[in-house]
Amino acid sequence: MIEFNQVGKTYSNGFQALKDVNLKIEQGEFVAIIGLSGAGKSTLLRTINRMHDITEGTLTVDGVNVMDLRGKALRRFRRRIGMIFQSFNLVTRTRVINNVLMSKVPDLPFFQALFGIFPKKDKLEALEALDKVGILDKAFVRADQLSGGQQQRVALARTLAQNPQIILADEPVASLDPVTAKQVMGDFLRINKEMNITILLNIHHVDLALQYAGRVVGIRAGRIVYDGPATEVTQDILDEIYEGKTEEEAVG
Amino acid sequence: MSIYDKIFPPKKMVLSNGKTVLKPASRLPLIALILVLFTALSVKITGFDLGVLRERGSQFFVILGMMAPPEWGYSTQVWKPLFDTLKMSLLGTVIGAVTVIPFAMAASTNIVKNNAAVGIMRLFLSIVRTLPTLVTALIATYVFGLGTLAGTTAIAVFTFAYMGKILYEEIETADMGAFEAMEAIGATKVRAFVRAIIPQVLPSYISNGLFCFEGNVRYAAILGYVGAGGLGLILNEKLGWREYPSVGMILIMLFVTVFFIETVSRYCRRKLV
Amino acid sequence: MNKQIEKAYEERPRNTVYQVTVSAIVLALLIWSGSAVDVSKTGLSGVQIAGNIISGIFHPDRKLLFNLTLQGVPYLLLETVCIAFLGTIVGAFLAIPLSFLSASNLMPAPIAYVTRLVIMAVRTIPAFVYGLMFIRVSGPGAFTGLLTMSVCSIGMVSKMYIEAIEDLDTRILESLDACGCNTFQKIRYGILPQLIPNFASTVIYRFDINLRDATVLGLVGAGGIGAPLIFAMNAYRWNEAGAILVGLILLVLIVEYISTRIRVKLARG
Repeated sequence: MIEFNQVGKTYSNGFQALKDVNLKIEQGEFVAIIGLSGAGKSTLLRTINRMHDITEGTLTVDGVNVMDLRGKALRRFRRRIGMIFQSFNLVTRTRVINNVLMSKVPDLPFFQALFGIFPKKDKLEALEALDKVGILDKAFVRADQLSGGQQQRVALARTLAQNPQIILADEPVASLDPVTAKQVMGDFLRINKEMNITILLNIHHVDLALQYAGRVVGIRAGRIVYDGPATEVTQDILDEIYEGKTEEEAVG
Repeated sequence: MSIYDKIFPPKKMVLSNGKTVLKPASRLPLIALILVLFTALSVKITGFDLGVLRERGSQFFVILGMMAPPEWGYSTQVWKPLFDTLKMSLLGTVIGAVTVIPFAMAASTNIVKNNAAVGIMRLFLSIVRTLPTLVTALIATYVFGLGTLAGTTAIAVFTFAYMGKILYEEIETADMGAFEAMEAIGATKVRAFVRAIIPQVLPSYISNGLFCFEGNVRYAAILGYVGAGGLGLILNEKLGWREYPSVGMILIMLFVTVFFIETVSRYCRRKLV
Repeated sequence: MNKQIEKAYEERPRNTVYQVTVSAIVLALLIWSGSAVDVSKTGLSGVQIAGNIISGIFHPDRKLLFNLTLQGVPYLLLETVCIAFLGTIVGAFLAIPLSFLSASNLMPAPIAYVTRLVIMAVRTIPAFVYGLMFIRVSGPGAFTGLLTMSVCSIGMVSKMYIEAIEDLDTRILESLDACGCNTFQKIRYGILPQLIPNFASTVIYRFDINLRDATVLGLVGAGGIGAPLIFAMNAYRWNEAGAILVGLILLVLIVEYISTRIRVKLARG
């Protein structure tokens, strides 16, 4: 369970990205966070695995206060939270399987990590993760030979191989074409249902958000302005979130 | 499937859900083996010995130490050879870069459709490229006599070889759409090339030419050693007479010149791209 | 005509002054550089010599070309390859710290700038000067050639390393961070896999160049095929020079073919 309690975040340059955020997400939910660019979606997501620090309030994940974590404890905590990025963030010059195995690196002893020797169990888990996202046949191909959608699936497999309880996805479909975007969203939904992994994603495509997510959180200027089931989102609510700019945003 | 995969067959991996994947054998062990063997052979043949380096390594700095302080008064005699070197490089670069244009065109598959002709032209360019500059310079001194003309020729040949390959690769990757459009409205091939391909290739051509010129100034300093004029001539002379402070002065002036040229040329290249 | 079009025509960018200035400068430089050319020494004898050289190259000394002793072309070529190979490797290692020190995305600007000046200074000193310096260390022979070659490689190799380092994709580090990797693991799995193919490609390219430039070492008696070639040319023994040149050209062509293939493979997978 992720719990935000009166969370605020002010950047060192004085910009207030989050204000009075209260949010409770249960294990196994599929939450889409929508809002304008710069509204604080990305910041909200990145506070959960503490890629960003919060400056006010408390944030707990399964009862652990995130701001109390340091060094090794923080890295161990991050093992349970997978993260997906808009730009896939793969090492394109190595094979797909090596990219997936990266998520196993933090558990390796020093010398095995130095020489890149992975136990067979890890390799099989990596292959199974690739199978789950349907690109098992690309396992031994170099990552730069895959299409954008396939690369995002490799990133998803990398996260799955980590056996996370939560997956945070920062604009996972923003650089994909509409058809591929739907396929990737479908992958997320399946993983959410079959493996009971909590999924939080930032998304610009309102229609995709409403179609796939169970719950929608709307953010405007750092504040949560809507929090409820996707089925109950009306045009008025979208207008409120997007300050009347839904038309252009939804198309983009 | 490549030959390697046949010799070292891929490993089969079975997933928990029963699916199987073929894992191609890693090439790393073979590459590592070749590298280690070749290194061992090279160490044996060249007599590589770290012990010698550790014991006598300081000797390397003896000559360097003798160059300091440089003989400042000598600088007045350096100017002329230094300018000779610059002139040699500049003229050689321009001659080489200009004469190579028709050859590079003939070696581009999108301009000349005859594969055999392109292949012969490329082989010719390759062979010219393999000629060591020093050999070209030596031959040039026999033909043109000792002096800067020999150096200019050697640099022109080197530039010709270096620019040839880059230029035909550049021409081949140019967008042919504009060329076809020109031909479609009735332009001749030459005119279409001038109006459609040259504007695409020109910036990188000039940029590579400048880059080549930078390198040629350094090269020209070596060429004098075989009698092809310029800075190398006095460098050779002063080294022979063990006048190391003068050598230091020559090197400092060469360094400042190269620094100046690189700065100007980098500025120009940045403006071009 | 339409007013707007006329106005647009009036406001067309005009850089005639710029173009004329640049052309004038280039022309002036060319005329100035032409003054160095002295054709008076060229005569009929030059043409005759050129003919001798060409005929010598086309009639190489077969005995020398297929001589399998230590004086034969095959062994000299092998020695040259070995000098170039180890020289490139040593130079490639020396270049690593220098290029990290001068990568502007890792180091503070003053350190990067000073290291770049050092690299430029190392590159400016001509090969035969290094040769003379190293002869004091290791005496005439292949070892000196190797050391000279390694120092001469530093300049270009570190320049290309620097480009690779400055092109690093740092977003990968973010995702490694997010899955809980420590600094060592981030370098090993985020940075090295990006750098190694680039570095390998650079080293192979430089090996190619070093093989071509190996003749320069002959000037200072630093081993390899250079010295016999220059002796043969100085003594006008063109058949011998031809044999050595033919061997060298074939070797360089083969090595170039292989190295290009490996580098394409490194770049495209």
